[in-house]
Amino acid sequence: MMSLKKKMSAGEFAVMAEMHTPKGVDISEIVTNARRLKGRVDAVVIPDMDNGIMHMSALAGGVLMKQQGLEAMIHVYGRDRNRMALQGDLLAAHVLGISNLLVVRGEEMINGDHRDARIVDDLDEVGILNMIRTLQGGLDLAGFELKGAPEFTAGCAIAPVVDDAQLAAEIESAKKKVAAGAGFVVAPAVFDMAYYAKMIEKLKPLGVPVVATVFLLKNVGMARYMAINDPGARVSEDLITRIRKAPDREAECVRMAGEMAAALKKTAQGIKIVTLGWEHRLPAILESAGL
Amino acid sequence: MITAEQKPMQEIINCIAPYDRILLVGCNECVTVCSAGGRKEVGLLASALQLHFLKQGKTLDIKEVTLERQCDPEYVEELVNYMDQVDAVVSMACGCGVQTIAARYREKAVYPAVNTKFMGASERQGIWAERCQGCGDCVLGLTGGICPIARCSKRLMNGPCGGSTKGKCEISPDVDCAWQLIWDRMKALGIEKRYEEVMEAKDWRTSRDGGPRKIVREDLAS
Repeated sequence: MMSLKKKMSAGEFAVMAEMHTPKGVDISEIVTNARRLKGRVDAVVIPDMDNGIMHMSALAGGVLMKQQGLEAMIHVYGRDRNRMALQGDLLAAHVLGISNLLVVRGEEMINGDHRDARIVDDLDEVGILNMIRTLQGGLDLAGFELKGAPEFTAGCAIAPVVDDAQLAAEIESAKKKVAAGAGFVVAPAVFDMAYYAKMIEKLKPLGVPVVATVFLLKNVGMARYMAINDPGARVSEDLITRIRKAPDREAECVRMAGEMAAALKKTAQGIKIVTLGWEHRLPAILESAGL
Repeated sequence: MITAEQKPMQEIINCIAPYDRILLVGCNECVTVCSAGGRKEVGLLASALQLHFLKQGKTLDIKEVTLERQCDPEYVEELVNYMDQVDAVVSMACGCGVQTIAARYREKAVYPAVNTKFMGASERQGIWAERCQGCGDCVLGLTGGICPIARCSKRLMNGPCGGSTKGKCEISPDVDCAWQLIWDRMKALGIEKRYEEVMEAKDWRTSRDGGPRKIVREDLAS
């Protein structure tokens, strides 16, 4: 199978799926779900302490993927680690076979499950991308030479946006990240395909591959919650009705995600499928999308 | 008090180089006490800047004002009559003062002339030392009146570490080991027993980690 890096640089459509590490040491579920994806996705994206919830680190999750014969992409962010820890973990990631990084902004500590924890925030996303480039150049951030430099494909994320003004601001911020070395951008989940296509077009001048997010709505409640609390996702009343009226709601949700994935194949250079705990449904989504 | 030190001259010069008319604003509170940005320092800085630009063949028009308190909109309002006579403002107050001016006079660029350092106390004439980090949940009652967060290099809640030697911290012989001070003070107060109590991991929500902070006093707010 062609590596993610090669696929993206060749302009081919890349399929990624997100998978969460456990809160604990029971890895049976993540390993089982990973096995089902073998040969079906180009990389598995492992968030780190996603939504500010303490989980097994993404580094370990990435290694688990490698052990199952899957390419891994791990999240990197500065909320919990200073530049020393970040650099040490990235050197470790390289030697453990993880070559893809997604630099993200961590959730606010106050919104997570360890609200009393101290925040690090030594480096922001641009700082982390610069750090990655420095390490790849054979030096650490203090200017000392590395005994063997790591190699990574690093990308950045576009935050959810509610309107064009916010999108313009995000694009400005993404320009800095691309200048700092982001080799691809991941667009936030948008359910209005016409708007999403326009957004992706606006991101293309950044000059790097645009990966779209396919988000699995799991039920009516979740769809309604997103419609209210995440206006940028543009979850319409029609979409909610479609789930509500479906004879098999779960199957309908999977079908909807599949349709999104198929539609995005025409507009984006890749997709990242997010299922938030329904990783066992990833094969069904891929099947439904014809991927 | 909030302590500050004047920025390097060149940095201030670079900020104001594009302007001909400057309003240099001091503050009568903390920065006066720590001799960084009171009336006297405003006068000295104004003269130094004028001299510098004069050598370059430019007459810099500097208006000098020292407010009672720059972090209070009521006093910052006093600057209103100067604003149409100046191109930019240079503040010698702490960051709170700079931002109060910036918030009130949005059309004018405001530059800080001092680096705000820390909340500290005077040790003796001309020497100020950090005493408080504003964690929002004071532990001084548990630590004999000496703050491990502000004064222990590692911010240990259960110190000291192995780097404590003869009462000094390993980072410098000039830095007291906060936990040695805490222990000595507990002994002096006859409360050494308290040292054996394990301090829980601190809840940092009350500090900056919980996000930018604000105090709202309903009984006083208008």
